Amino acid sequence: MKAAGAIRAVSLIATGVAAGVGLATAATHFAYGSSAPDFRTTTELSRFGLAFERVRDNYLSAPEDRQLIENAIGGMLSNLDAHSSYFDPKTFAAMQTKAAGAYGGIGVVIGLKEGAIDIVSVVPATPAARAGIKMGDELIAINGAPMHGHALDDVSARMRGKVGTDVELTVGRTNVKPFAVSLTRAAIEVERLTWHREGDVGYIRIVAFSDRTEPDLRKAVADLKRQIGPGLRGYVVDLRNNGGGVLQASIDVADDFLDSGEIVSVRGRDAQSMERYDAHTGDIADGKPIVVLINGGTASASEIVAGALQDHHRATILGSLSFGKGSVQTVMPLDNGAGGALHMTTARYYTPSGRSIQATGIVPDMPVADGVDAPQYQREAELPHHLLAEGPATKSAGAPIVPMAGHAYLDFQLTMALSYLHKSLAAGGSVPEHA
Amino acid sequence: MKRFAFVGLGMVAGFVMALGLLPSAHGANDVSAYRQLDLFSDAFERVRANYVRPVEDSELINAAIEGMVSNLDPHSSYMDAKAFADMQIQTKGSFGGIGIQVTMENGLVKIISPIDNTPAAKAGLKAGDYIAAINGSSVQGLNLDAAIDKMRGPEGSKITLTILRTTEKAAARKPFDVTLTRAVVAVDEVTWHRNGDIGYIRMPGFNENTASGFENAVRDLKRQIGPGLKGYVLDLRNNPGGLLDQAVQVSDDMLTSGEVVSTRGRHAEDTQRYDAHGGDITEGKPVVVLINGGTASASEIVAGALQDHHRATVLGMTSFGKGSVQTIIPLGEGGGALRLTTARYYTPSGHSIQAQGILPDIAVAQGDEDDIPRIARPSEADLPGHLANADAAVRRTSPAIVRPPASGQKPADFQLSYAMDFLHGKVSLPTTKSAQAN
Repeated sequence: MKAAGAIRAVSLIATGVAAGVGLATAATHFAYGSSAPDFRTTTELSRFGLAFERVRDNYLSAPEDRQLIENAIGGMLSNLDAHSSYFDPKTFAAMQTKAAGAYGGIGVVIGLKEGAIDIVSVVPATPAARAGIKMGDELIAINGAPMHGHALDDVSARMRGKVGTDVELTVGRTNVKPFAVSLTRAAIEVERLTWHREGDVGYIRIVAFSDRTEPDLRKAVADLKRQIGPGLRGYVVDLRNNGGGVLQASIDVADDFLDSGEIVSVRGRDAQSMERYDAHTGDIADGKPIVVLINGGTASASEIVAGALQDHHRATILGSLSFGKGSVQTVMPLDNGAGGALHMTTARYYTPSGRSIQATGIVPDMPVADGVDAPQYQREAELPHHLLAEGPATKSAGAPIVPMAGHAYLDFQLTMALSYLHKSLAAGGSVPEHA
Repeated sequence: MKRFAFVGLGMVAGFVMALGLLPSAHGANDVSAYRQLDLFSDAFERVRANYVRPVEDSELINAAIEGMVSNLDPHSSYMDAKAFADMQIQTKGSFGGIGIQVTMENGLVKIISPIDNTPAAKAGLKAGDYIAAINGSSVQGLNLDAAIDKMRGPEGSKITLTILRTTEKAAARKPFDVTLTRAVVAVDEVTWHRNGDIGYIRMPGFNENTASGFENAVRDLKRQIGPGLKGYVLDLRNNPGGLLDQAVQVSDDMLTSGEVVSTRGRHAEDTQRYDAHGGDITEGKPVVVLINGGTASASEIVAGALQDHHRATVLGMTSFGKGSVQTIIPLGEGGGALRLTTARYYTPSGHSIQAQGILPDIAVAQGDEDDIPRIARPSEADLPGHLANADAAVRRTSPAIVRPPASGQKPADFQLSYAMDFLHGKVSLPTTKSAQAN
């Protein structure tokens, strides 16, 4: 029952709430297991064989053997946890195309809301945007297959495919009959990092983590320093609704602000399969104060950044509790891909202080409520079959600072972050008057 | 190997009967099957060895079997050893529960109908309500059996359901909690009373006591009403089905001869025909059978048989359309069992009611249906993965629907009141069937 040696291959740290189209996969490790089946395992396998045989022989119409097996593997995987799923050969082949470059999507970010798959945002100038898909729409079916109850990773995988191929979505919208819309997949650019000055504060928004994120961050910081000059007071790094992405990109981003020490560790089933990522010398922000904005849509790779900067006291985390996706999924092709692939949780990651954020999330140092109309998406701990939290219970956030009645804020959390950097808001302190 | 087979017709776990042995298995002995099993073993081994935490082999296999079977159609599923044991207990006719008949839809448990005089009915749960959570834990990812299992429990124990009522206006679609105290639910007791010179018999389901309950009802109504007895109303509304033999017996009680129903499976030798014999205990008196979108399975057999033999006038709305038979196939000692769709049944005239339902001779709306009945009360044809009806091309059209008058003079039960009027000759059968616009 021991896992054999690990072979290097592809793996992905799947994105949490917002399994964004076009969010890339990272190369890490990938363990092929081989274990000698013991007697009970053989018995269980033969029980499956018996069930398979009974269905083949007695079902009302002769079922396809292959379909039965794919559904069985799918059932086995999706029962494990909220992120494990099976990619059938067609879905897996579509994902492989991605590596060859001609990979496309439709340009939506999805989330779970009361069990339904919801459109969290639509990337401008993409097939979805052109087809009139709107934020808040429900994604009922893809190519006729109902998506309710499917893992977000699985839903994302089904939307992806070769550039130029078609995908049909069945969309639900309030007060409208569900309708079908056919979209042609196109190459989707992961939204790039954006930045601007907010007076003497540099504001940087990271929408998702890709290979370009860290070089973009360096560019942003350099540009903000040039724009603001020596009076630069600090930075706001906005990770709200950032569903994750490439693990290595998040490590590189955290490293940019840290001089030394651990950023994150990834631990698998066996104690010895731990992988630790450390920071290297150099803080591109020159030790200036940083506020990291998080919310319930901050997941996975984003939580690694927030957790690392929080544990090293390098940044003040402001906003609301993050999503809590602290697990790593590995893609394991079956029969060299001809049998599809398992997309399975194989490890958890831990912040430098040894916290697992699985199902608990990152607790903000300064809890500040979302804007009034911010949609509430489900957090990891609310997903069916979520992998349970482990380790000591995390401290809970205090009562959040809420906008004052009668005052309208475009972005209350950002306003509070700027106040904090201007020292007009002390940690846990009172809310200043804002017109 | 020891093997049993049962046939269950209900959508409610627990309605089973012995039918006989299935044709002997041909064995998964061809090359394709072995190759597919190899693929499965490979996946199984990978999960055992690499998943982030160790998982019991039996748990993996249970989930695999469930995935394999539940994707076939909405009525096929896997029962693990515990669920299977529970199901066998339920055949005895009563259990500790809340009294709802449910199905699975969109990953949520949907109430087909609350059973009369149960905690669910008393708490005001309605047909069409969705159960989003049981005792605070979401039902998503649960199969129907697991959800039913969670709702059952000892008499007197409490359970909290989170209900989503989508029949309300969109704005009011907020989930709410209802706490119920479980009671002994005696399922499907036949009840009856006289309605002037008409005998009214309500049959909420089909269990081991249904046919004898029906016979008692007829005997008692004859005694109560005497020779002036004009006819009977057999109410099968919201009756989700149950035991096939009971449905056959109830039909037989009102028929003197001829076919009641036949079941046909994949292999020719699976065909079984059930015939009526003996007398008609209702002595040829007029019978009106009430049906609606909640009338399913075994109830549709009764309605279909009496309709095809012109023994009864079927009144109400098109029935659910569940024309498939599930067989319970145990997987060895402690291995649970498959509930597998193995056959369809056909009315005497050869119609499969699968996904089509029984069309009423007189279409009468109750008035509580939504304007679009197919959405208000989804039928088999609306369930994902439902079995298609090979006869769909010959789909009959139903007569124009009689709707209740505007509120004010509207009777509490318009369909029943219309049935009474029909038996009293105040309204007649529509002579021509007008095609309905879709």
